[in-house]
Amino acid sequence: MDYKTTVGIEIHCELKTNTKMFSHGTNGYGNTANSNITAIDLGYPGTLPILNRGAILLALRAALVLNCEINQQMYFDRKNYFYPDLPKGYQITQARTPIGIHGYVEIEVDGKPKKIGIHDIHIEEDTAKSAHSATSSLLDFNRAGVPLIEIVTEPDMNSPYEAMAYVEKLRELLLYADISDCKMEEGSMRCDVNVSVSKTEKLGTRTEIKNIGSISAIGLAIEKEVEHQIVVYEQGGTIQEETRRFDEKAQKTILMRVKETGNDYRYFPEPDIPMLVLTNEEIESVKKEIPVLPNERRKKYHEKGVSEINSNKLIQNRDLSDFLLTAPEELNLVLASNILLGDTLAYLNKNRKKITNTKLSMKKLTDVVKRLEEGSLTSKILKEIFNDLLETDLSIDEVIKNHGITQVNDTDSLNQVVKKVLLENQASVDDYHAGKERALKYLMGQIMKETKGGANPVLVNKLLIEELTK
Amino acid sequence: MENKLSREEVLHVARLARIQISDEKTLEKYQYQLKKLLDEIDKIKEVKNYDEDFLIAPVDHEAKPTKDETQEEITFQDVKKNAPHTKGNFIEVPVMIHE
Repeated sequence: MDYKTTVGIEIHCELKTNTKMFSHGTNGYGNTANSNITAIDLGYPGTLPILNRGAILLALRAALVLNCEINQQMYFDRKNYFYPDLPKGYQITQARTPIGIHGYVEIEVDGKPKKIGIHDIHIEEDTAKSAHSATSSLLDFNRAGVPLIEIVTEPDMNSPYEAMAYVEKLRELLLYADISDCKMEEGSMRCDVNVSVSKTEKLGTRTEIKNIGSISAIGLAIEKEVEHQIVVYEQGGTIQEETRRFDEKAQKTILMRVKETGNDYRYFPEPDIPMLVLTNEEIESVKKEIPVLPNERRKKYHEKGVSEINSNKLIQNRDLSDFLLTAPEELNLVLASNILLGDTLAYLNKNRKKITNTKLSMKKLTDVVKRLEEGSLTSKILKEIFNDLLETDLSIDEVIKNHGITQVNDTDSLNQVVKKVLLENQASVDDYHAGKERALKYLMGQIMKETKGGANPVLVNKLLIEELTK
Repeated sequence: MENKLSREEVLHVARLARIQISDEKTLEKYQYQLKKLLDEIDKIKEVKNYDEDFLIAPVDHEAKPTKDETQEEITFQDVKKNAPHTKGNFIEVPVMIHE
């Protein structure tokens, strides 16, 4: 029998609050070292923690987004350990009454949905950030006390792929729900992975790989750790519970330390914070504030015929996806997403702008899509006038005019073009007579092409129908 | 019941506290002292109608979370007064052995 891989993941995410979990110090990444600190963050004697309402509501939102049952009566616990980045000597966390339990995140494996169980999600505080040299360690307390949620899965993943899919899905959810900015490279999302292999139904002894720096590294680290464990077992050895780290250069996991066990942390209830109660009303109001989540958006794109590739691209470009939330129901999302992900995205990336900082309104986009559908605007002309649509308040007609694309209003010359196009496209004429409405749009497009987009669409439409019904 | 902790137990506690015990005599003293402390704490178990909730939150009011607004920050100049060593804007401590 082959070895079965089992993976569980713990993720720490910093919450997007203004201030810290248990003090009024600013939560500001990248600020001058030790400029966002209070006496509480430094664990000065005589200080008492406060509770940040904003952080609690964001953690509650996370628990709801991850389909958890909510603990409406919570208290906090002290996790005791001695380290310079934690001057109180303990971290305030939630060991016994996590805010959310028994949740799940749904991923896709081989085209089928798979639920990854969330054991719990709890609130805690971050530690100070340390930098080490050969002779001393330097501490920055800006990070001390920043609100974190720790999300702990059940051991439900069975491959590196599933682990990566889970982290990607979780990240997407937390980003879209505005809970965390989830930047692994800045440490606002940190990932520890528990890995074991076993030939039987009983789970093998697990090792923990700490602080993996990217989603792809998570996959690689698991792959390498599984290889390592199998080699040990095959050589008759045993795996012991230990903490390892993944060395990306060496492409292998390296032993850091044999784990301290739960008892070593001497957890006990935090006596300085009274019981925290969440009311039904609070939970309901947080539910209402949750933005439209990716799965719901994907469903809508799918219904409207948007390709899976474009659908994923829209989800990756949040502000474009948000922009589409304001689209009228009748808007052709296939064309709209092509425009947004094509010329618009190229423009935005080049100019480092967000769509909300351009002059492209939903009305303008709707107008462009409608004209493309009618055939009264060609994609060639759209390309030519596109920057102006994004940069000016002018209407499409005005922009077209400014580009020297003059409208042909001369019935005689247009009639000649119409006749020419009909002669050249007998198949479409037949289609039209057979009742295929789309043929008209195609012919319209051909006429616009012939006149380099200059023909008056209303007039062309009239002449075309006249000629077809002769 | 033994009236002292084992050597290993004392060494384990010392490791958690990052304390180095200098000699055997001190170690032995701690074996007795720590056991005495633990026995004292164990007396809690003798309380009748033990109410765990009361121990968790001995006050009967609920927590009152506060607004997510910056207040009461202190400057690094203030911090420096309490930090034996600083370097630039950082607090400097002896090198940490392991992560």
